[in-house]
Amino acid sequence: MILSSMRDVVFGYGEEPVVHHVSLDVHKGEFLGITGPNGTAKTTVLKLLLGLLKPWSGAVELNKQAFGGGKPVIGYVPQQASSFNAGFPSRVIELVRSGCHSRVGLFGRFGAEEERLVRNSLEQVGMWDLRRRRIGELSGGQKQRVCIARALVQCPDVLILDEPTTGMDMRSRTELYRLMRHQVRHHGVTVVMVTHGLEEAGRYLDRVVTLERLEAGHPQIAPNAAESKPESSLAGDRWEME
Amino acid sequence: MLAYEFMQRAFLAGALIGLVAPVLGVYLMLRRQVLMADTLSHVSLAGVAAGSLLGGNPSIGGFVAAVAAALLIERLRGLYRTYAEVPVAIMMTGGLATAVVLMSFGRTLSQSFSSYLFGSIVAVSTTQLWLIGGAAVLGLIFFIVFRRPLYTLTFDEETAGISGVPVRTLSTAFSVLTGMTVAAAMPVVGVLLVSALLVLPAALALRIAGGFLSAVMTAVGIGLTGIFGGLTVSYVANTPPGGTIALILLLFLLLGMALQKLLLLWKRRVHGGQTSQNPNGKKGMETI
Repeated sequence: MILSSMRDVVFGYGEEPVVHHVSLDVHKGEFLGITGPNGTAKTTVLKLLLGLLKPWSGAVELNKQAFGGGKPVIGYVPQQASSFNAGFPSRVIELVRSGCHSRVGLFGRFGAEEERLVRNSLEQVGMWDLRRRRIGELSGGQKQRVCIARALVQCPDVLILDEPTTGMDMRSRTELYRLMRHQVRHHGVTVVMVTHGLEEAGRYLDRVVTLERLEAGHPQIAPNAAESKPESSLAGDRWEME
Repeated sequence: MLAYEFMQRAFLAGALIGLVAPVLGVYLMLRRQVLMADTLSHVSLAGVAAGSLLGGNPSIGGFVAAVAAALLIERLRGLYRTYAEVPVAIMMTGGLATAVVLMSFGRTLSQSFSSYLFGSIVAVSTTQLWLIGGAAVLGLIFFIVFRRPLYTLTFDEETAGISGVPVRTLSTAFSVLTGMTVAAAMPVVGVLLVSALLVLPAALALRIAGGFLSAVMTAVGIGLTGIFGGLTVSYVANTPPGGTIALILLLFLLLGMALQKLLLLWKRRVHGGQTSQNPNGKKGMETI
């Protein structure tokens, strides 16, 4: 089932378009990778999909029927997650708890269920032991993992990750891909991830969309004609989380 | 000291503004909008001048100008997304220039301006006290009710928007509240020192507090102590209250930073001593 679709979208920040007649479908319950060289507007495409940017022309539509007619819960990990304000006065657990704000509302109390979700999310990204640390004391990769935990704690229908492995070591990167695979397989979450590390991530993805420049020097892009399925995909394999 | 009615009013005004200004300061610092307080106070001065020239209440004129400028800055923020300080600089220039030109129209204005420039907390009028009270109550309600979305918004606007926080509405309400608080704080420390009440307590709190709530509470504690201490010293030493309050808050910040540095050095020394000993507790080779 199609969850979200971009149809013939054109968008730019100045006078020239950086996204030129792009069409893209996101299917429910898939792990989609968006890749491409620097400057091919991968983040822009992601923001268009999220509705953060309005296209000059074309349409971006969300299929609400895919969520039973309601509004989907979207977990988002931005590209600059690891470079956020280092002086922000929060402990890891406090920041991850903020992911539950939409669940508990303005005055609701944090119950046992929310605390369980927070613990579970932090454990999934291997940050439970560092939950009392100030976020400014963490490394870039650790900050990234905290942001991923904050997205997971919302129990999202869709997870949007913009280069989430920035600053992570190889083991952490592999664990993240496995975690996302687990979210797709066991929780039915749709994951869309912008990545440069296709060699590593490719085997965990269901589908890859590569964005390319059409002409050198011209900021026009389009997804390559054939959306590819990774050659050695783990998508169909059965495996459990560590 | 508290037997005098003017001192009672001064302490009441100080307590009210001391409850809300440092909280606002924490958010302004984290949103990288520290200069907004200075800018709004300068624009507020133009409102004071306009209010006087039009025969109205200068304090209310300042209040209206500060709130209007805050809304305009919020609007301009969308046009200069990558240069957050540009709208602030534009408004500061515009506000100060307008104030200077308006002042030239009324010769008597220059004299009353000094009370706005340097503050006159011991001469707070009933209207000013009501404005301060209104801003403080509204501010506290705002920060308590919207503490959760404000936290998310302050950490990252983009993620906040995606997770359902009404970013534009909340941001606009925050700007209006900033304008109100700055205008309300003007009689306490004056236009030139208004940011001291907002920024100095927050600057220290953000260095020493562990979590978000403790940063907010620490900032309020520092702010109130600085205001009450400043008023007391000012009364005893016969110094200008606005400047004295700002100096005491600055002293707190410097002392806090020095103590934090000493504590860090002491911890490193203790830690270094532990690592330079071998597991048997005897002095051994030092780790290079």
